[in-house]
Amino acid sequence: MLLRAVIYFFREAVLNLARSWKISLVAVSTIAVSLFIGGALAMLAGNLRRLVADWQREAKVIVYLRPGAAADGALQAALRQPPWVTGVTAVSAAEARQRFERYFPSVAELVRGWGEEPLPASLEVAFDPEQVDARAFDGWLQRLHAFPQVGMVDDDRDWVRELQGMLRVIGVVGVSLVAALVLGAVFTTASVIRLTAYLYRDEIGIMRLVGGTELFVRGPFYVEGFLQGLLGGAAALGGLFLTYRLLVPRTPQTWVAGALTGDFLDARGQVLLVAVGALAGLAGAVASLRREEV
Amino acid sequence: MIHFYRVSKHYGEQRALDEVTFQIERGEFAFLTGPSGAGKTTLLRLLFRQEVPTAGQILVNGRNVASLPRRKVPFLRRTMGVVFQDFRLIPRKTVFENVSYLPRVLGLDRQRQKRLAYETLRRVGLAHRMKAFPLELSGGEQQRVSIARALINQPEILIADEPTGNLDPEMAREIFELFLEINRRGTTVLIATHDTRVLERLDKRVLALRAGKLTDDSAAAGDLAAPLSEVVGG
Repeated sequence: MLLRAVIYFFREAVLNLARSWKISLVAVSTIAVSLFIGGALAMLAGNLRRLVADWQREAKVIVYLRPGAAADGALQAALRQPPWVTGVTAVSAAEARQRFERYFPSVAELVRGWGEEPLPASLEVAFDPEQVDARAFDGWLQRLHAFPQVGMVDDDRDWVRELQGMLRVIGVVGVSLVAALVLGAVFTTASVIRLTAYLYRDEIGIMRLVGGTELFVRGPFYVEGFLQGLLGGAAALGGLFLTYRLLVPRTPQTWVAGALTGDFLDARGQVLLVAVGALAGLAGAVASLRREEV
Repeated sequence: MIHFYRVSKHYGEQRALDEVTFQIERGEFAFLTGPSGAGKTTLLRLLFRQEVPTAGQILVNGRNVASLPRRKVPFLRRTMGVVFQDFRLIPRKTVFENVSYLPRVLGLDRQRQKRLAYETLRRVGLAHRMKAFPLELSGGEQQRVSIARALINQPEILIADEPTGNLDPEMAREIFELFLEINRRGTTVLIATHDTRVLERLDKRVLALRAGKLTDDSAAAGDLAAPLSEVVGG
């Protein structure tokens, strides 16, 4: 019986959608636009998160030595002592210069023609961010600073932290924006469903008169809202995928572009996008019929 | 079967019904008559709980209609068939879909819906028009579809509000024949009409309303002390 009722709801909802397709299109478009923006933001945030995680994995502590100084056994031991250290690589002053010339060829002149090596030798300490205890890490850096042959200690964690902060801001702004857009879509769907219910008020009155229960009378409208949301979600996903496919080959290979167009939404994200659309449509229909006798 | 006890319905200062009391027994055929604005439609709307009385009790099969929770109203309505002057058919649905709405609500499969709709439409002489749309039918045919819709769940009570108001005399006669036949099968029938010719022709009980008050209640129209035209006001 329930299955038959659901089939009837779907049939009526599809008929309603087809009959009043112009106003349904308003709801579907609103949901599609909202979810397109939401999906794009989710994709951006996901790619940025991955990028930061990669950087975090590659983060290093670089201990720059004073000119002419060398890492003695005590410094080497201090560097390797903490459990989070996964490796120490010595970079001589000459290697540092060669790297600079390789990475920045346009300004390579800056490090050429000096009597002695212009860049300091360093020790690059790789570490596992998962193992790091922040307070112990800071204490360890302080101890490294105290060695007389150490000129400067550069900690990648600072800018990774800044990036993570930026990511949090993007997340909060994105979630707020998407919430506002989805709410707007819910209200639009609610208005469209209310309008449809108003158009069919005579029929609805007849259904009630002959003994139709509220669920049976409202069911097709709930399904109509659900379908509008589903279509909106699917349209947003399709639009997003199309935009992604068109954009990726035309994007220059920079890290910013990589962050924007790195990976498309994963399967879970795609399902979630369409599900949010369907739920927004359903919520709109429930909200529109909640307070009044349709 | 139907018991109105001191039922009043007020809309602000206006008294649509004023302390109306009567009883209709199971299987009875009764007319409700009176001039326009007498309260006939209000009385019927109270009966199938489209309105709630301001005061008084309405019992249908011992159930107090006025105090029925809203969620139970559909179940009350399924025990009644309602027919209106303007037919109230859904124009975009076929005759079959109009008639079989309640069986669908009740969860019957499509085969049973079809069989039931066919049998009921055959009773009103329209089995051959199942696939037609209401606007393709004449007024009399539309009213017969509306009666079929009211009968499909074999209701205990059939209520009709001016069912022949939009029909010519010949079609009206056919529709009343149909109501009599339905009544002969045991259904209680209550019809609101101000057609005095019908009341005079059919020897049935008449409840007369005027300005919201029950002014006459007779076992047969012929027994009324005053001429019918005076009771009805037209």
